[in-house]
Order: sequence, then C-alpha cells, then structure tokens
Amino acid sequence: MQALDGIRVLDIGGTVATGYLGKLFADHGATVIDVEPVEGFETRRLQPYVPDAEPGEQSAMHRWLSTNKKSTTLPVDRLIDAADVLVTSQPAQELEAMGITTSALARRAPNLVWSSVTWFGLDGPYSRFAGSDAVVHSLAGMVRGIGRPDRPPMLPTGYQAQVIGGLTAFIGTMAQVLAREFGNADGLIRLDTSILEANLCFTEVGAVAGYGQHFVGKRLGVNRFPPTYPLGVFPCKDGWIGITVLTPAQWHAFCALLDLDALALVPQYQTALGRLEAAYEIEPAFAPRLLQWSAIELFHRAQAARIPLALVPTMAELLDVDQFSSRGAFANVTHDDDASLTAPVVPFRLYGSAGLANGHSPRLGAHDGEFA
Amino acid sequence: MTERFLEGVRVVDLSMGWAGPLCGRHLADNGAEVIKVESCSHFDWWRGWEATQTFIDDHGYEKAASFNTVNRNKLAITLDLEHPTGKTLLERLVATCDVVLENYSGGVLPKLGLDWSRLSKVKPGLIMMSMPAFGATGPWRSYRAYGSTVEHASGLPHLNGESDWPPTMQHVAYGDAVAGLNGAAALMIALRHKHRTGEGQFLDLSQAECLFPLAAHGILEQSATGTAPPRLGNRSRAAVPRGVYPCEGDDEWVTVDTQTQLQWTRLQSLLPELQAFGNLDDRAANVDAIDNVMAAWTITRTPHDVMTTLQAAGIPAAVLSASTRLTSDPHLVARRFFAMLERPYVGTIPHPAAPYRDGTRPLAIDRPSPTLGQDNVRVLHDILGLDDDEIRALEAQGIIGERPLPMEKTQ
Repeated sequence: MQALDGIRVLDIGGTVATGYLGKLFADHGATVIDVEPVEGFETRRLQPYVPDAEPGEQSAMHRWLSTNKKSTTLPVDRLIDAADVLVTSQPAQELEAMGITTSALARRAPNLVWSSVTWFGLDGPYSRFAGSDAVVHSLAGMVRGIGRPDRPPMLPTGYQAQVIGGLTAFIGTMAQVLAREFGNADGLIRLDTSILEANLCFTEVGAVAGYGQHFVGKRLGVNRFPPTYPLGVFPCKDGWIGITVLTPAQWHAFCALLDLDALALVPQYQTALGRLEAAYEIEPAFAPRLLQWSAIELFHRAQAARIPLALVPTMAELLDVDQFSSRGAFANVTHDDDASLTAPVVPFRLYGSAGLANGHSPRLGAHDGEFA
Repeated sequence: MTERFLEGVRVVDLSMGWAGPLCGRHLADNGAEVIKVESCSHFDWWRGWEATQTFIDDHGYEKAASFNTVNRNKLAITLDLEHPTGKTLLERLVATCDVVLENYSGGVLPKLGLDWSRLSKVKPGLIMMSMPAFGATGPWRSYRAYGSTVEHASGLPHLNGESDWPPTMQHVAYGDAVAGLNGAAALMIALRHKHRTGEGQFLDLSQAECLFPLAAHGILEQSATGTAPPRLGNRSRAAVPRGVYPCEGDDEWVTVDTQTQLQWTRLQSLLPELQAFGNLDDRAANVDAIDNVMAAWTITRTPHDVMTTLQAAGIPAAVLSASTRLTSDPHLVARRFFAMLERPYVGTIPHPAAPYRDGTRPLAIDRPSPTLGQDNVRVLHDILGLDDDEIRALEAQGIIGERPLPMEKTQ
C-alpha cells in the first residue's frame, strides 16, 4: 500500500504546474486522471521532444509529468462525483463554460478540494495577465541580479517557475486533504495557488530586509551575488567546480587548501561582504590555482577540509555521478512506443511508504474505455 | 485566527538556516504546532552567521530578516542538548510529538545520541525527516553544502546563461527554498501514511536531488537525444522574440516572452516593423533583427508601460521587479500578500503570505517569529509539566535561557 492510495485526483489544468502537482500524487499511489481535451494537454507539445515520436506523444516533458497517471478525453462531468481533488489552471469564465462552479461542484462532490493553480492567482490586477515562467521570474525579482552588469539580466531556462508552483500547490492541497481526513475541515474549498507567489520564496527575504528602502542592487557579474565571495563556478583542469565560502573558518580553510596563506589574514577578507567588495583582487589570486586540480580531486579535498565545494556536472555527466546513481535519483519513464527516458524521481525517500520510481506515461485517451 | 487544517499535529523542529525552517513554516501556516528548538550556545545560524559579542549585545540575533521571515507561527524553546538534562527534556518532548525535522550536518545527531535509531524508540510512530545536502546515504552523505552548493551539484548551472559564460547560477542559495518546499511535501505524504496505518517512518531528503525536477528539461533532452540543450542566453528555440529588453530609466528592463503564433500576430499589430517576419522558423533565423526592433521600441517606454501595453494584447510581458519593490507591487498589495506584524526588536515588518489561500483570504499569520527561547515556560510547563522551581533551576544551569551565552563560553 502506498501513502496516497485511495485519493482520486482529476487534472483538467494541463500545465507543467498542475502536471507536477499531479505527479507528486500519482507517484505516491493516488489515482490521478488527466482529463484532456481531444487535442491533448498543452504539455504534450512542450520541448524537449523524443525523436521520431508521433505528434501529441513526442514531448519528453509531458511523459515525465504524466507517469503513473491515467489519460482520458471524456468530459470531466462524468468523473467529478468520485473525485477528492480537482486541479484547474483556467480562469473562472472558461471553467464556468465547462459547468465548473463552486455551487455546481458542491452539489456533486461536497468535500472536494478544488485546487486552482494559476500564474497570478484568482484575483488582483495581474490575474488576467498572460503568464510564462520568464514572466513570473521577472515579476518575482529573481532576474535582475543575474548576469553581467553591462548586458541585460539573464532569464533562467525551462519550466522552473511552474515546477515550484506545482510543488507548492501540492503542499496546500495535501493540507486540505489531510484536514478532511483528520476531521479538521469539511465542505468544498477552492484553494488558490499563485505561481508568482510560490516563487516569491526566493526573494521574500529581500523584500522584508529592504522594506521601506528604495535601494535596488546592481548586477555584480556572472555568479556574483551578495552576501559572500568566493562564490561561483570556476574551471578546473578537467571540468567545473562550484565554490561557496561564507564563514571565517571556511575562508581560512579555503586559503590553506590552495596555499594562499597571505590572503587568509587580510583584515578586509575576514567578512563575507568584505571579500565580495574585493572580489576583483581575490579572484586573480585563486582562480589560476584551481586549474592545477581535477574537479573531482579538489571537491573531495575541500569537503575533507569542511569547505562546501561541489562538482558541477554537465547533463551528460550527471546521470553517472555515483552519489546520485547509488541513491536511485533517476529512473525510467516508459511509453507505448517503447522509447525509455531517464528522468528524475520524486526527490525524497520515504522509507516506510516509498514512492514509485519508474513509471509509464499513457497515450492520449488511453483510459477512455475505463471511464466510458 | 490560526488555521486548523493540521491541528493536532505537533512538530519538533531542530532545523536551522533556510531550508528546514521554511518547511516547518508551511506546516505551521496550516495549523500544526511547530516547536523550534535552539540553544543559547548554538542559536539558529540564520540569525547571524558572523556573530560577534557586539552583535549579540545589540540583539542582532533577533533582527535578521532571514530568520524572521521563515519562523512565524512557531513556538521557540532553548535546550542545551549537550547537557544530559537538556537531552532528556528533548526526548520527553519528542515523545509527545508526531514529527521531528532536522537538517544538521551528518554526524551531529548521532553524536548527541538523538538520531533516528534513538528517537524512533522514544516515540513509536514518529515521523523524522533529515535534510542533508546530498541525502543520508551514498559516498557524499556527510558532505557539507549551502543552497548554492547544491545548485552547483545539480548540474542546473549548465542550462543557464550564454554559451561563452561559465555555468551560470540563478540565485545565491537556490537550493535552500527548494528543499524546504520538498520537505513540506514529503511530510504531508508521511502524515497521510501515519493517519491510515499508525506507522511512522524516516524520511531522507537530499537537497541536491530536489533541484533535479527544475533541471528536468535538460536531463530529459540529454536522455532523449544524447545531447544537452544549447545555452541560448535569454533566447529560446520555442519562443521568438523572448528576451529582456532595455527601458527608459537607469537599469530598467522588461521581459517579453512570445510563446504562440497568436501572440506573435498581436505583437506585429503593435509593432508594424515586425511585419517582415513570419513563422517561428523565420523568426528564429532573424532573431537579431527582431530583438533590435523590440529594443528600439522598449527603450523609449517605462517597463510598466511596456508590460501593460503588451499584456492588454495578451502577450506575456513583465517588468523586472526587485525584491525591495515587492511590498509595493500593486498586485501583491491588492491580494494582501504581505501582512504587517509587530516583532520585538525590529518593529512592524512585512510577513509574506503562504502562496495558497482559501478563496480571497490569505492564510492567517498570528504570530511573528519567536524570540530566542520565548516559549520556554509555555512548552516546559504546559506540555512537559515542569513546575516553576524546575524551570528556574534549568535557567540557573544554563540549560534554557532567552539570551545567547557570551561568545567566550561558546568557543
């Protein structure tokens, strides 16, 4: 038996955010049904693609998001009565056209957790804005500090804002599921998760720290962020090493590791901000020495000295890193076309009720017969 | 009024920094009773990682925005876990709880005799989550890391930035908040399992692995095609134009992310110079020229003007905000995202809401972050049943307290 057995989730949202929310349910045993339009969810058209796969089934991203779920193109109306959770991403008008309103749902599924996951939430001036991961990152204040000061700020890639939104919505949704099972709440709830607000977890400390101030920090350069230095990703003899030196003890150990004893006791370098202000003179002193080491050797030596350095593996290298492979951090995503993908598993291990690692991604409408 | 969704769930939160406390915050926001445990000799380092005696004398450990943002709605006690009495009291507290949350470096709790093997005997049915940087197993299990380090190790920096830049980080401590969210999700699942079966369990959360779903687009492309996606800076193979364009003002920018053909035709209506370009392939072949048209148009406008003009046409666009501008963002103000609460030593400060809400009402924030040891009496008396004399004796022995010990006693 898996932890979320017996919970029935309908996803009509069809975005990366709702897909990731549903994936967390499905990979822990819930019955998750993707209720798709006849052309399929928009996630079926997202890059990257599986070469030579047929249209509608080619998105590797969709395959990963949909493991251990069911897919139907039948109307959601046929499924709603038995649902515990309904996941949507659409604005209210679009949902009303589908007959999905609070009053209608309350009659059909009186204890339903209706989990709305939208870019900006259900109300407020931006609620009708067109969203994207880049738009959310920009409004969240996450982009301004990335990149070179003489170039435009740099956007993160991929679907990161949506994954954070889906993960956050899962927390709120599960709290509502538990509240009903614990007897702490009842009745239909329309939970409103904003992907923008979910991503404010990365910048909210700056909002609190800077409250009442109008100071806006400048970009300091690629991989340079307050409040510390050395920080960043640097070339070694054969790859890349990630460096973070924060405390005085780490600074002294870092200098000892690289035979930079003369730097260790410079008064200005005893604080993180002091070193950041002097990065232009510290970096030329240590960066050439990194080139004398292989990344793996430097990584292990630094960690032995209690300095938090890390390998920075490429995508090709990542799947073979022994730490991750030994823990089963990646598993197989299969599909009816026999292509198998290697993909991240849900990144926590519950030793008493483990989630599913491998999974099968259903074709569009694969389960129509089950629900007809 | 405090939310009651998780009423009846008690959490002993041994975590420090950002990741663990953010996890605990989500549980507290939903109504769990979260009891944060620090000590007067080792307070949460998120209160200040370069503490000096002057810093302590000035109550600097009560003023850090980082600490005060992630610990609201919690109780806080101090216990010297290196003292046998302090350790015994922690065990008694654990015996009353459902969840223990910790993110110490590997080896700390076993050395104190307070790891899973011990605490699971103290409280049958206990859920205990450990959040080491690389997980509780594997050759790197004892390695140290910050949120930046786990971003490094996840490979994610190879997916960001220009092709001639070093692998590019996107945050100073990206992994911390991501791990905190994953921890809260994991505990929700474990609570459900316990509710159905009565069984507790050990949860092993690797902060580095928590970043893999954020790199899924790169991992999947590597797996599907044998190559990683190209690093294109602000550009995208799926959206043209996509970029960050200069606006009127010093270091002011706007993001435009044209994702569909419909959005493109609407953009062409607003910028007739774009009529020369057609479908996505054509636009990709002429991306430099298109970006020049975009930048020439945005540079004479404010970011807000560009955003509202394009959004009125249904085109994804956004000002590049800054963390210091979030409390005055009109959308967040309208949604009452920041609640103003008074906190000792810092006055009235904003508290960000939980990112999920019931209808139009943010979840309640009843209590700002606790001061050091603020709830010693409440927890020791009301939960553990100690009387006033016993509590005073603990204070006299330095096992509990409400001020950090002088620095010379902690070094």
